[in-house]
Amino acid sequence: MTAAVADVVTEVPRAADEAGGRRANLIANLGQLARKPVFLLSALYVLFVVVSAFWPQLFSAQDPYETNPATVAQAPGAAHLFGTDIYGRDLWSRVLHGSPLTIKATLIALAIALVAGLGLGIVAGFFGGVLDAVLMRGIDVLLAIPGLLLALSIVTALGYGTVPVAVAVGVAIVPGFARTTRAEVLRVKTLPYVEAARAGGASWTRVLLRHILPNSWGPVAVLAVLDAGVAIIAIASLSFLGFGAAPPAAEWGTLIADGRNYLVTSWWLSLLPGLFVALLVLGLNHISKTLQELTR
Amino acid sequence: MRLRPMIAATAVLALAACGGNSAGDSGEPKGGGTLRVSFWPDNPTFSCIDPFQVYWIESRTIIRNYADSLTDQDPQTGKIVPWLAKTWEISPDALTYTFHLRDDVTFANGRKLDAQAVADNATGWIQTVKDTNGAAYGSSYIQGLTGATVTDPHTVVFRLSKPNSSFLQATSTTNLAITDPAEFRLTPAERCTGKGVVGSGLFQLDHYTAKVETVLTKRPGYAWGSALSTNTGEAKLAKVVFNYVAEDSVRTGNLISGATDIAWPRNPFSPQDEQLISKSGDKVEARSLPGVSLTLFGNVSAGHPLSDPALRQALFKAIDVKTYATTLYGATYPIVEGPFDRATPYFKSQAAKLAYDPDGAGKALDAVGWLVGADGIRAKNGAKLTIDYPLTTFNPGAELLQAQLKKVGIDLKLRQLTTAQSATYLKEGSYDLTSTYFTRADPGALQFIINPEVANSKALARQAAAPAETAQIQALFKKALETTDPASAGKAYGELQDYLVDNAITFPLAERVQKAGVSGKVHGFAFTSESFLRLNDVWKD
Repeated sequence: MTAAVADVVTEVPRAADEAGGRRANLIANLGQLARKPVFLLSALYVLFVVVSAFWPQLFSAQDPYETNPATVAQAPGAAHLFGTDIYGRDLWSRVLHGSPLTIKATLIALAIALVAGLGLGIVAGFFGGVLDAVLMRGIDVLLAIPGLLLALSIVTALGYGTVPVAVAVGVAIVPGFARTTRAEVLRVKTLPYVEAARAGGASWTRVLLRHILPNSWGPVAVLAVLDAGVAIIAIASLSFLGFGAAPPAAEWGTLIADGRNYLVTSWWLSLLPGLFVALLVLGLNHISKTLQELTR
Repeated sequence: MRLRPMIAATAVLALAACGGNSAGDSGEPKGGGTLRVSFWPDNPTFSCIDPFQVYWIESRTIIRNYADSLTDQDPQTGKIVPWLAKTWEISPDALTYTFHLRDDVTFANGRKLDAQAVADNATGWIQTVKDTNGAAYGSSYIQGLTGATVTDPHTVVFRLSKPNSSFLQATSTTNLAITDPAEFRLTPAERCTGKGVVGSGLFQLDHYTAKVETVLTKRPGYAWGSALSTNTGEAKLAKVVFNYVAEDSVRTGNLISGATDIAWPRNPFSPQDEQLISKSGDKVEARSLPGVSLTLFGNVSAGHPLSDPALRQALFKAIDVKTYATTLYGATYPIVEGPFDRATPYFKSQAAKLAYDPDGAGKALDAVGWLVGADGIRAKNGAKLTIDYPLTTFNPGAELLQAQLKKVGIDLKLRQLTTAQSATYLKEGSYDLTSTYFTRADPGALQFIINPEVANSKALARQAAAPAETAQIQALFKKALETTDPASAGKAYGELQDYLVDNAITFPLAERVQKAGVSGKVHGFAFTSESFLRLNDVWKD
């Protein structure tokens, strides 16, 4: 996470104010993206997962909670795409019905990180001085604690369930966002158009909202996509450890954990949900890397 | 014994797979070697190796092999046979037990095991009960014991203040194993670490590192094994190392790869693992654990849904114990038939009353006003039929139970507990249903769950039945305990088992079977009457 932050901070932002304006730039960028097949595949997969998270029944007609002793631990096949678990439940359907929990947790975590991170970063970068020093020392402390460890301590204090896990992960990724935003604000603040706006009589609030914020959030958006992957892994890790939603609902991490006693005999129980998550995170990473390249 | 066909089936499977290594064993026994046994994790809250205090099955299995008891119990018949005591007499009023000891027994430190040592043990037990406020598990075995006196160097007399028909069986357990009484000068906590604990068994305790490993080494000159083993002399093995492996799959994998010789899980192997073990040329040994079966206990205190007897009765019909067993543990797994496992003496089958009948359950619930709502969950006066079932490591298959109850419209809420909550949820009464069990080859085992006077969790015992029902249960236990006539004890225990099911106080979920994956290199494997590991005849290629 920290390495990625450093990476993003050194980026040159998209020049939204260059000749041709924002819209033309966007169209050109989209054309460029359409010519990248791996990016397209990744985007389609992520889109599929997000859609399935909100309407899982579109992709699977089977009940994810219906136990069936007659079809226990069946290998993947036509009837059961991902096989069945040890209670005879359809694993594909369980993975899809697990998507809403994990995706919603990810969105909550990112929303917390974006709001808190952007807020802290802008305030610190814009006002500077003592306030900046105090806020950033606080962020330093958070950065010093490993993210998952911090999330674990928070979830232990909050109790178990999807929302506490989301909050814990969200808080744990706030520092990266705050740092990135602050760096951008510091850079944008000194640019001539900010000075020009001030000289033109704009208030500090207007300068902040109209000039600084829109011009500094590019790298933060890229970081958000990248951190979506990080958040998914963190949420899956926490639910793997048993902090997630109560059974029979199953987050992806819970599904992987449930299968770990059957790695030799029923490999699909852990492997397929694991691959599903891994592909999603790889897809998100690829998308964010491509977006970064575009901004160069 | 319904268990036999299953063991036979397993044996046949093993034979077919590996071409012939069975428990009886051919070939000349070899001496020496180290046996490695892998357990599931040690007790997280009370790690202990002191015989009198411990209840953890794994620790008791270890103790059985380094400390001997006055008597032994035949796993086949339940009969009490001589061990350290050659003979014994019980007075007609069942208040004095006279044991005549062998005179050739010494502790591992060379001290003689005579009548004085046994009497000092009795004093030490009673003192330990006082020191631990009754928390030591052994206290449940010595109810009514007031002390022991020595009449000659080989004769010791135990005196009881009230009859206790399970006392003779108690003398055969690991909890009343005889140790060098010098240990009782140490505090209970010190003894738990193994400090000062010296038995007279065929192995001696080398060291016990809580949650890590226990090592036993051969006791030279041992010659007083009970007649239940072929080998009554020195152990064949030089050393036994017990370790703790948390993950079931890792434990099974260790057995298959040869990293361990015996995989000893707490919850039975999954059918998949069992197949894997048999295919790899190893064997799965199994024996029903005597004592209380894996049982659900309700919280019937006011304000909890299970305070309604009609609802409790419907639970029997709603729970499909057969599917539960076959789904979790395979088609040959025995089906639970009552509050006790069938290996328990005085077991009386309640199978007919536990029959699965979801329609009957539905009708019974309709009749008392629990009607199915739009979401399939029953409700009465706007309140949903929700049963809170906190999850512990002792209730495998909770999701299966949840699915079964959902079919009749009962919403079983599975609640993950934090470490702090798992220590207090019983006391706070913040549950509707919980599950537990207790291993002992005597129906008296149930007292320590359900009789508030002696129960380990007084809260669970008080909440499991209404006061009037608890009184009736206590009366039946008293009746069974205060007789030394097996027939009348059997009658009282039979009545008790009927009462528990007729009044829907215990909800049996599964028979408990101790399974052990045994490497093809290990011969002479045997279970004790409590389904612990007996190493007297064990040797390794």
